[in-house]
Amino acid sequence: MLLPTRMAVLNHVNKVGKASVNEVMSVLKPFYGKEKQFNEKMYLDHLMALEANGLVSLDKYNLDANNDLVLTYSITEDGRGAVEKYVPKEYQV
Amino acid sequence: MSNEKSIIQNQVGIVTADDKMKAVSKKFRFAGISNGLISGLTYGIYSTLVIVASGYDPLISAAGLLAAPFVCSGLNDFFAGLWLLIYNWKQGRLKELGRTLNTKPGKMLVIGFLLGGPIANGAYLVGLAMAGAYAIPISATCSLFGSLFAWIFLKQRPTKRVVGGMVLCVMGAIIINFVKPEGAPNFTLGIICALIAALAWGLEGVFSSFGGAMIDTDVAVNLRELISGVVTLLLIIVFGGAFPLFRETLAVVTPVMWLAISGLSAAVSFLSWYKANSMVGCAIGMSLNVTYAFWGVLFCVMFLGQALTPTIVIGSIIIVCGAILVTMNPLDLLKKGEA
Repeated sequence: MLLPTRMAVLNHVNKVGKASVNEVMSVLKPFYGKEKQFNEKMYLDHLMALEANGLVSLDKYNLDANNDLVLTYSITEDGRGAVEKYVPKEYQV
Repeated sequence: MSNEKSIIQNQVGIVTADDKMKAVSKKFRFAGISNGLISGLTYGIYSTLVIVASGYDPLISAAGLLAAPFVCSGLNDFFAGLWLLIYNWKQGRLKELGRTLNTKPGKMLVIGFLLGGPIANGAYLVGLAMAGAYAIPISATCSLFGSLFAWIFLKQRPTKRVVGGMVLCVMGAIIINFVKPEGAPNFTLGIICALIAALAWGLEGVFSSFGGAMIDTDVAVNLRELISGVVTLLLIIVFGGAFPLFRETLAVVTPVMWLAISGLSAAVSFLSWYKANSMVGCAIGMSLNVTYAFWGVLFCVMFLGQALTPTIVIGSIIIVCGAILVTMNPLDLLKKGEA
């Protein structure tokens, strides 16, 4: 069974250290891409909620070629600890 | 089209990454605070509507102290769970329910739900049935118990401010209890039930600290209401012998209709409360949610003929202030407001 989306988002940021919303979505697309909940608004909400809980932090923001805001988040100590403690080992690799 | 737009924006020179970032952050924070306020208002509505529903036959004339409040609590939570299922289905998130239950944080949350659902909600409604609107502010002392349990189990030492807030909560509860209203023979028992509810809600918070922050709150709330509703109804029907009351309540449409609406208010309230907590932090989220004590008492006075006594007014205000002090430093609100 797949991880719940928010946990999968945190797990991915932990794997790569830092990632933007679009990077997270492109990696998770093969698994969650067909679901209605797979949209940018929902994934930005996941990352911002994880940030509000101190599990990730906003690393940088800039505008892309289309003048859209790109937010990049990095994992925090608490986030890394939460993943190691609560995400099953087989999903962490 | 997008090129034209960016040229116009660049010429005017106002849309920078900083501007967009500020707008996104402001929107997120505004949504968080709005959710907190809505959660308080709708919890007040839910509390009042449940009192309305329990005023109809067969609930009002049911034998025993526990049967009617637990049937109300179970039906309310079950309806709330159904409303939330519709909401999550519309959002395309139904699969998340099973996925969440399959994780360790999800399982820890379920233990918390059993405490916060059947036990706390049941006790809260028994309290409302016995002590009327007086039970509402008493239950708001849950932030006191939350801090107390965090101290005992999670070794999170409270600061002087938190202890001060706890003392205020207790003082407010004592003031509310000072003058018993006439015609409420089980008043003190009702207040004790509201305290049990607050205690169980405080304990529920402890279970959400085991990885609960990585669970989508919309999914968590859906599970909470469904599990709470089903378990409460099973307990009261199987072990409480309340099946006849349950069947008769369903047969009479009016109280069920009120419980379906109260369930909708509870669903909106919990959804927005959890959302607020995950958007602006538990401290501000809980402080805004606790305004339900005001709304609940206000609606009961306005629509249900609850007498407004000086003790309930002063006690409610002190408890709300105490609860805010337990959960946050009020000075932070001013600082953030300036930023």
